[in-house]
Amino acid sequence: MASLEVENVVKRFGPVEALKGINLSADDGEFLVLVGPSGCGKSTLLNMIAGLDSITEGRIIIDGQVVNDVHPKDRDMAMVFQSYALYPNMTVERNISFGMEMRKVPKPERDKAVMEVAKLLQIEGLLKRRPGQLSGGQRQRVAMGRALVRNPKIFLFDEPLSNLDAKLRVEMRTEIKKLHQRLGTTIVYVTHDQIEAMTLATRIAVMQNGELHQFGAPQEIYDRPANTFVAGFMGSPPMNLIPARIGKNGAGVNAEIATADERTLRLQLNGQAASLENRVNSEVLVGLRPEAITDPESRDAGAIIQEVECLVEVTEPTGPDMLAVLRLGGIEAVSRMRSSSRVRPGERAKFAVNMSKAVLFDPETEQRI
Amino acid sequence: MSFHVSRPASGTQTLWRVLLYSILIFFALIYLAPLYVMVITSLKSLDEIRAGNLMLPPLDPNFDAWAKSWSAACVGVECSGISRYFFNSFKMAIPAVAISTFMGAFNGYVLTKWRFKGADIVFALILFGCFIPFQIVLVPMATILGWLGLAQTTPGLILVHVTYGLCFTTLFFRNYYQAFPDELIRAAKLDGAGFFQTFWRVLLPNSLPIVVVTVIWQFTNIWNDFLFGASFASGNAAPMTVALNNVVNTSTSVKEYNVDMASAIYAALPTLIVYVLAGRYFVRGLMAGAVKG
Ligand SMILES: Nc1ncnc2c1ncn2[C@@H]1O[C@H](COP(=O)(O)OP(=O)(O)O)[C@@H](O)[C@H]1O
Ligand SMILES: [Mg+2]
Repeated sequence: MASLEVENVVKRFGPVEALKGINLSADDGEFLVLVGPSGCGKSTLLNMIAGLDSITEGRIIIDGQVVNDVHPKDRDMAMVFQSYALYPNMTVERNISFGMEMRKVPKPERDKAVMEVAKLLQIEGLLKRRPGQLSGGQRQRVAMGRALVRNPKIFLFDEPLSNLDAKLRVEMRTEIKKLHQRLGTTIVYVTHDQIEAMTLATRIAVMQNGELHQFGAPQEIYDRPANTFVAGFMGSPPMNLIPARIGKNGAGVNAEIATADERTLRLQLNGQAASLENRVNSEVLVGLRPEAITDPESRDAGAIIQEVECLVEVTEPTGPDMLAVLRLGGIEAVSRMRSSSRVRPGERAKFAVNMSKAVLFDPETEQRI
Repeated sequence: MSFHVSRPASGTQTLWRVLLYSILIFFALIYLAPLYVMVITSLKSLDEIRAGNLMLPPLDPNFDAWAKSWSAACVGVECSGISRYFFNSFKMAIPAVAISTFMGAFNGYVLTKWRFKGADIVFALILFGCFIPFQIVLVPMATILGWLGLAQTTPGLILVHVTYGLCFTTLFFRNYYQAFPDELIRAAKLDGAGFFQTFWRVLLPNSLPIVVVTVIWQFTNIWNDFLFGASFASGNAAPMTVALNNVVNTSTSVKEYNVDMASAIYAALPTLIVYVLAGRYFVRGLMAGAVKG
């Protein structure tokens, strides 16, 4: 159990700046997820926390102690690698106990620890096999076993589920979450999958091109993305970003959206009126999650709802609900409807837009207003 | 192939097969002919050999020539057979192969997994060694062996072969380890394995294919080497190849072709056995290195 702080961490590979000053922290027992598109520097950061990559600038602090120069084996961390990195020449048992063997733990103690972990992960039957004789899911479990058996201060996971098929991935996701609830150990988990990030994390760090865009609780990141990148990356389908102009009339402050037929669609922004006074007549992007645009019958109670009529272009039933691509003003937007919804492509229909969920972005800086 | 095959095993197809196999068998025979002549000659008596009929099988096959070659053939002035030189070759080849293979593996490990500044330049220089002809190193080698007091000894010859072979073994292992997943090394590091433990416990046990390739390559080269043997160990420490040359060139009154042939077969046997036993892995190892990356 431990807390972790990452302070202004920079990583350069020659002239390439892979990490550009990252600040993060995880309290004891937290599940911190680093998420971002591939190549954004997640693995590099994780390796630096583990001590496998050197730190160009900045500090990494565990339990209040700077560990920049502490050897990886002395940092008391265990890692699950994306490729699992099981030793092909050793049995599952040896794979799991290798770390203890290197640390000179006596054999009876090792055996006991291996059995405990094997039971926890239900891999008792596999102990005598070699990694080559295991399925992907089994290998994944063994890799977790190798980390768990060490009972470290911090667990590091580098895309542990990305090599599994979709069904197994969801199962293992739940198991990892259960495991965290049971053990309460601090976890740093790397993924490029925003759903994994949302489901597992207590806090999420969204990264791109070596920069940290936002660091916060999952719901906060989902509801109030710091910029348009986060808005687009988190959530599937992504947040709709609708260009508009701030206008003011008798009813208050509006987002005015130009439509194809030269009329203007006005969305009320009264909830945020105060902060928008000085932006009247300037351009903004209105961010609306698909579920904030829905059929009038399933609108949220107690929210600022505005009804608009739009042309439906495509409908995509997903099972639990139905996605409809519609023309909101001049541009396409995705809405999430009940699966029983009767909207038809090519027809106009009424939609309820939940304006209390709307977030506004500055189109120049791409930052949230 | 884009034959228009309407009926199974049509006439043209059979014809092609026959032609193909005839060509293959023809070339196989050409390649096998020398071996055939060697074996039957070694089983003949001198009288029978003198009678001609080079290609005919022996009338009365016996191993007299083999026995004589082993324990009584004249190597230079001494007539106690080639057995001693046969063992000389083993005493030289086994350590030389083992040491050069091991050091190649170690070099490969350092050059790929513990990269230091200038690793690529060091590797390029080592690689350069592969293209240096034997003859060029003869004089400097002789000087160095003289300094070390190892001239005309088996350890001296081992040193020469290790030095010369290192370029090749390093090349083999470096390329193999280049494709070896870094994550395994990182996992070992986190598990607390040190520099040598990682090498012994993780890298080397997963190197069988390339070890086989290297051992075969090194063993064949070192066992078959004549120039270094003749230059640096011509006396009592002479390897088999040098002894064979001396057997054949010893000017006694009669040319004992059967003894010469038996000696030559003795000299070729170890490499032959290595190929038969490990040849399968040889090809597989070459492929593994190629495909994995
Ligand atoms: N050893 C290295 N040398 C040079 N560049 C590297 C090295 N490792 C990673 N990088 C670069 O750093 C960036 C981040 O890589 P990585 O952390 O692996 O991304 P992610 O795990 O988010 O996909 C990439 O652009 C990658 O090319
Ligand atoms: Mg990665």
